[in-house]
Amino acid sequence: MKFSFARNALAMTALLTLASCGGGKATFPINVTVYNVLYDGLVLTTNGQDLAIHPGSDTSQPVNAVFPNELEYGQTYDVTPKIETTTGTDGKAVTTIKYPQHQTCQQSPNYPTNLPTYGTAGQLGKIQMYFVCSINAYPLVAKVTGLRGTGLTLANGSGVAPVSISPALDANNAPTGADIPDLTLFSVTFNTTYGVTILTQPKDQTCTISGGANGTGAGTMDVAAEAAGGVKNFVIACSNNPA
Amino acid sequence: MKSSILRAGVALACALGLAACGGGDGDLLLQGTIYQGVTKEGLILTNNGGDDLAVPAGASSFQFSRAVSTDDEFNIEVKQKPSNVKECTIANGKARANYYTIAQISITCEIKTHPFVIKIAGLTSNGLVVVNGTDRREVPANATTLEMSPVYEDGAYGVTVLTQPTGQTCTVQNGTATMGTTDTNNNNVVVNCA
Repeated sequence: MKFSFARNALAMTALLTLASCGGGKATFPINVTVYNVLYDGLVLTTNGQDLAIHPGSDTSQPVNAVFPNELEYGQTYDVTPKIETTTGTDGKAVTTIKYPQHQTCQQSPNYPTNLPTYGTAGQLGKIQMYFVCSINAYPLVAKVTGLRGTGLTLANGSGVAPVSISPALDANNAPTGADIPDLTLFSVTFNTTYGVTILTQPKDQTCTISGGANGTGAGTMDVAAEAAGGVKNFVIACSNNPA
Repeated sequence: MKSSILRAGVALACALGLAACGGGDGDLLLQGTIYQGVTKEGLILTNNGGDDLAVPAGASSFQFSRAVSTDDEFNIEVKQKPSNVKECTIANGKARANYYTIAQISITCEIKTHPFVIKIAGLTSNGLVVVNGTDRREVPANATTLEMSPVYEDGAYGVTVLTQPTGQTCTVQNGTATMGTTDTNNNNVVVNCA
């Protein structure tokens, strides 16, 4: 009697051990959480699967999504925004990363959500990763003419620090008054307004500002400005004050 | 012989133990990170009510000159704020000193803001849009004042016309300057429409 009990127990143990070693089918869903998705267009990809991420009805809440197919134990994964290559109108290949429109996304940089976006299924109990999207910003670019004095500062409202502009100097550190081309003034977030003003004039000179969407230094960083890679028509014209 | 070695050993152990418990001046320098808000001279920090440390404008870190020893209690407080600061918050400023705790201290100061109300003159039609950077405001006809988002004390503002009203042209007078230190009469901005 005692002997048969031991045999049963042994059989049972063997069965349980086998079951835990893959008798059942263990698969791993790839869970993704994306913060600050405001626009459509984000596609994440791994292992030949795509996962489109759409903004939620409450954009202050992160979007949770799961890839359609689960991974087998030991399969590797590497989740990235999808890169798509198309042929442009000029016949050349055009590479686009499928971010949301007007946004860029990356792996969350902050603890505790900075979990790896790649790995092997089964390495951790659960596959979970986090991405964070931010709204793109584009530059305001100016040409400065005739600047000889020091002390010119420009403001773009109150949200960002003013910028100082120094005159071009020759080999003896004397101001030349030469044009300063392609000077980036401020970076402006998509779909926000800008209004550049001259906060302080340079010594013994007066500068005026033109450009921007309305011609007098103000405008909105809209779709057209985004397509142009920023607003690049600013001119800051400086001339000497009458003696 | 054996017992005298033992005695010397005990004495040495005692001496070391005492030294470690605050007998000396110590070798731990209290330091910290300044995250934001120190844009002006005037911040003075103290440790245990003394050891005054003046933090210069724009600093991103601070370090007390007097070293402390392991297990000394430290308590860092703000003795004086810069004049444009509403409040400074110190994180992990009170603890017993060791290599970990002396490197966990941080300060964040919140800069004062003031209401920003500008004058509008002569506006008789709709359509005027005024911006202060990203702060966009549509101004209805016949408005005489416009309240915009608050501006940091000593911070710049630059008001411009984004869109002119129907049939009128507006220009901004004194549109850009630095915010004063009061809640009222802190700017001379006038949008003149004709």
